[in-house]
Amino acid sequence: MSASDADPLIQMQNVDKFFGDFQALKNINLEVHRGERIVVCGPSGSGKSTMIRCINRLEEHSAGRIIIDGNELTDKVKDIDAVRREVGMVFQSFNLFPHMTIAKNLMIAQQLVRKTPKGQAREIAMHYLERVKIPEQADKYPIQLSGGQQQRVAIARALCMQPEIMLFDEPTSALDPEMISEVLDVMIDLANDGMTMIVVTHEMGFARSVADRVIFMDAGEIVEEAKPEEFFDNPVHERTKLFLSQILAH
Amino acid sequence: MEALTGWWDDYAWGSLVVAKVFLTSIGLMVLFGLIGAGAKLSNIRIAQKLAGAYTVIFRGTPEILVILLLYFGSAIALTSITQMFDPEVKFVDVPPFWAGTFAIAIIVGSYATETFRGAFLGVSPGSIEAARALGMSPLQTFIYIRIPEMWRIALPPFGNHMLSLIKDTALISIIGLNETLFVAKQAIATTNKPFTMYIFVGLIYLAFSSAITLSVMGLEKFGKRTTEGAR
Ligand SMILES: Nc1ncnc2c1ncn2[C@@H]1O[C@H](COP(=O)(O)OP(=O)(O)O)[C@@H](O)[C@H]1O
Ligand SMILES: [Mg+2]
Repeated sequence: MSASDADPLIQMQNVDKFFGDFQALKNINLEVHRGERIVVCGPSGSGKSTMIRCINRLEEHSAGRIIIDGNELTDKVKDIDAVRREVGMVFQSFNLFPHMTIAKNLMIAQQLVRKTPKGQAREIAMHYLERVKIPEQADKYPIQLSGGQQQRVAIARALCMQPEIMLFDEPTSALDPEMISEVLDVMIDLANDGMTMIVVTHEMGFARSVADRVIFMDAGEIVEEAKPEEFFDNPVHERTKLFLSQILAH
Repeated sequence: MEALTGWWDDYAWGSLVVAKVFLTSIGLMVLFGLIGAGAKLSNIRIAQKLAGAYTVIFRGTPEILVILLLYFGSAIALTSITQMFDPEVKFVDVPPFWAGTFAIAIIVGSYATETFRGAFLGVSPGSIEAARALGMSPLQTFIYIRIPEMWRIALPPFGNHMLSLIKDTALISIIGLNETLFVAKQAIATTNKPFTMYIFVGLIYLAFSSAITLSVMGLEKFGKRTTEGAR
C-alpha cells in the first residue's frame, strides 16, 4: 500500500483520546499534505502535545483512524516502527542522551535503526550539525552546550533519520529569550527546504511567516483552522479571539 | 609483630578466600537484585508480592542468622533428599564457601533490589521517549539509553553494597570457612596474641575496602565527565 503524492501525508479521522475518564482529544480531523507547514496553538492543557504525540504513537489514540503516508497506526509493532522512522520529533526539553557525545547522539539511532555503518553515520551526523551551525560541538556532551545549541542538536538528531515529517512540541518554550531565534532560524531553513512540519508554538511571528495553516485548539478540540493572515487578522471564534488577545498582550 | 611469623601464608590464603567469596557474591548479588527489581517493577501481582517479601525478610533479619539458617537448612535438605536414594547416608555436608556466599549475596541482593529499582525509575523519561521517537526498539532503548543512565544513578549505593559484601565475608568464618578471621582464631589459639591478630585482620579488610572505594570513585569520575562538563 503506497500513497501517491496527492494523498495526504498525515490523515487523522475522528480521533479521540482518553486518559482514563478524561477526554484529551475530541473528534480530531486533520489532513496534512507533503510540504505543508502547520502551526498548532492553544492554551496549556488543550491537547496540542497529545495530538502530535498520537502521530508518532508516543500516545495511542482511543478511537478514530490515523494514517501516516498510507500506513494506518494500529497495534502492530512493525507498523509503528515504520512510522517512527518517517516521523522526526523535537521536544520542549531537548531530551538529548546525557551520557553520549553530540556526535553519538546523532549516530546512535542511525546505527541501530537504519543499520547505517559507523563511518557513514558520523558523516551524516556532521552534515546535519553543519546545517544547524554547530559542527565544532560534535565531541562535547549535551550538558556543556547552551539550551539553544542543545535544541539545534535535537533537531539535527531527528533530521539524521531523514524523516518525511517533523513534529515540534513547543521547541522554544524552555529557552532563554536570546536563544529563541537561533532555533527558529533553523526551523525556517527547514521549512524553506520543503519539509513537512507540524509545529506547536506560541511564536506568532514564526506562524505568520512560515505556516501554511494555523490550527487553534481548546479543550481537546480543533476550534479554528485558517491561513495565518485570516487567523491573526480575522479570527472567527470567540475562544480564538480571547486566546490571541492574551498571547499578543505579552 | 613477630607473632605473625609463620602465619603469613595462612593469612594470604585466607585473603584469597575473601577475594573469591567477594567476587562470586557480587555476581550473585547483582543477579538477585535485578530479579528483585524486575519483579517489583513488573505488573505481575504475585511477583511484586514475592519481591516485597524478599526485601522485608532479608533486610529485617540479622545477617549471621541468615548464614546459619542457610548453611544448616541446606545441609538438612540435601541430606534428606540424598537419603531418599541412599538410606545409608548419615549427613551431607554443604561447602561453607557456597552456603556463605549465597547467604551474603541474598542479603545484600535485597538492598540492591531497591537500588536497581530506584535507578530504573530515576532515568529521565525524556531520554526514553526520544529514543522511542527515533524508532529504537524497546530492547535497544533499554540497552543503549536506560542502562547507561541507570548505572550512573546506581553506582554510589552499589559501592556501599560492595562494602557490605566484603565485610560480610568475615561472618562466614562462623560456619568454618577458612578466611582471614578464621585464620586469626587459629593463630590466637597458639600464639595467645588476640590483639595483634585481630588488628592484622582489620588491616586486611581495610585494604580490600579501600580498593573498592577507590574503584567506585574512579568509575564515578568516569560517569560524571558527561554530566559536569569536566573532561
Ligand atoms: N499521560 C497523561 N495522563 C493523564 N492525563 C494526561 C496525560 N497527558 C496529558 N494529559 C492531560 O491531557 C490534557 C492535554 O494535555 P496536553 O496534550 O499535554 O496539552 P497541551 O500540550 O496543549 O498543553 C491535559 O489536561 C493533561 O493534563
Ligand atoms: Mg504541551
